[in-house]
Amino acid sequence: MSQPQDIALRMEAVSKRYDHKRVLDELSLDVPTGSVLGLLGKNGQGKTTLLKCALGLVRPDSGVLTVLHEPANDLSAAAKARIGYVPQEITLYPWMRAAQLIDYMSAFYPNWNSALVSKLMSEWELNPQDRVGKMSVGTRQKLAIILALAHEPDLLMLDEPAASLDPLARREFLKAVLSVAADGARTVVFSTHITSDLERVANRVAILRDGKIVFDGEMDELKDSIKRLHVSSSRALPLALDVPGAVRVKVDGNEALMSVRNVSEQMLDDLRRQHDASVRVEDLNLEDIFLEVQHAGSR
Amino acid sequence: MSAQYFLAVAPASGVPIYRQLVDQIRARVAGGHLSAGDYLPSVRQVAEHLQINPMTVSKAYSLLERDGVVELVRGQGMLVKDPGAAANGKSRRHALLPLLQQVAEQARHLSLTPEQVIAELKPLLENQP
Repeated sequence: MSQPQDIALRMEAVSKRYDHKRVLDELSLDVPTGSVLGLLGKNGQGKTTLLKCALGLVRPDSGVLTVLHEPANDLSAAAKARIGYVPQEITLYPWMRAAQLIDYMSAFYPNWNSALVSKLMSEWELNPQDRVGKMSVGTRQKLAIILALAHEPDLLMLDEPAASLDPLARREFLKAVLSVAADGARTVVFSTHITSDLERVANRVAILRDGKIVFDGEMDELKDSIKRLHVSSSRALPLALDVPGAVRVKVDGNEALMSVRNVSEQMLDDLRRQHDASVRVEDLNLEDIFLEVQHAGSR
Repeated sequence: MSAQYFLAVAPASGVPIYRQLVDQIRARVAGGHLSAGDYLPSVRQVAEHLQINPMTVSKAYSLLERDGVVELVRGQGMLVKDPGAAANGKSRRHALLPLLQQVAEQARHLSLTPEQVIAELKPLLENQP
């Protein structure tokens, strides 16, 4: 399972500032080909900037970006044709009808899957005769997703794609992402702050905070690795209670809550012995982990 | 080909989805609901039914293969192997572990020694209810 992998998107020490705000701070990230990466971060943490830099739409101040083995700021037409992108603010041509827009877009791409477009249009209940400008935000988002999937891109980048979708459409959307992921050769990167969207479909997670990637790895590994420990001792616990891999620690008298990376039996035993404590281990879901990681440092 | 409907996952659980799948399939095999010679549903079927990433299903299947619960038959799928007496005993012991961990936890709360716990447990195991 872990043979050396091809990298679809590589970011090395990428920095970007807007005025005085440092949005990306020497950020590094590898996205292996075939993975579905969920990019998690609170609003305003740089998710959109990261994606735009990766697409060559925004030029970073420093750092190296490689997309499908080409430099992001100098992508060939062939490479661009292998990328699909759904931006957060969708600006399609408002005067066009959906069917006209589809016709127009299809001319740009050598492999345009008309059957897939028709299938998704009817599954997602889009009327080809509707004018783009008159569509609701959710409908426009659906159309943008269909347009991004239509040329069967090798790299699909989606910026908060499910934000305006109702629960049913969101499920349909995730199904579409899964069908892209199913062949294992195509790569999907999507940003969100809704963790439940990720848990089913993403096999990798990258957590963005303060312009840096603070976690990057397999979803399963993340869930297996970070646990919350409920520590309860017969005596007062030291306020500076610490263990290797601690992400966040809260001590209150005889009790402590600590979220810890790479929990081992050995570490639990040490904790029990040193502090004469009982320790209960709690599994954390992605939302819990995301919150713990966001609050880390504010201990 | 066995139906995939016995599988269910809770994506928002802290237990990774692949582990939920492994545990459920192991339980079906240990409980005799899946027997030697049965095939697991295909990766694709499970991924579509549960709407999860196919790689997650593949991961669960390769762990089951590594642990000797199933074997890959080329062109056919994942074949459930004969658990055998030893493996069966091991998996049944494994099923007891979470409860024993709770017992150990409670014993520590009560400051009981291992000897005391075993002394309490022994008659319970030996006496028929």
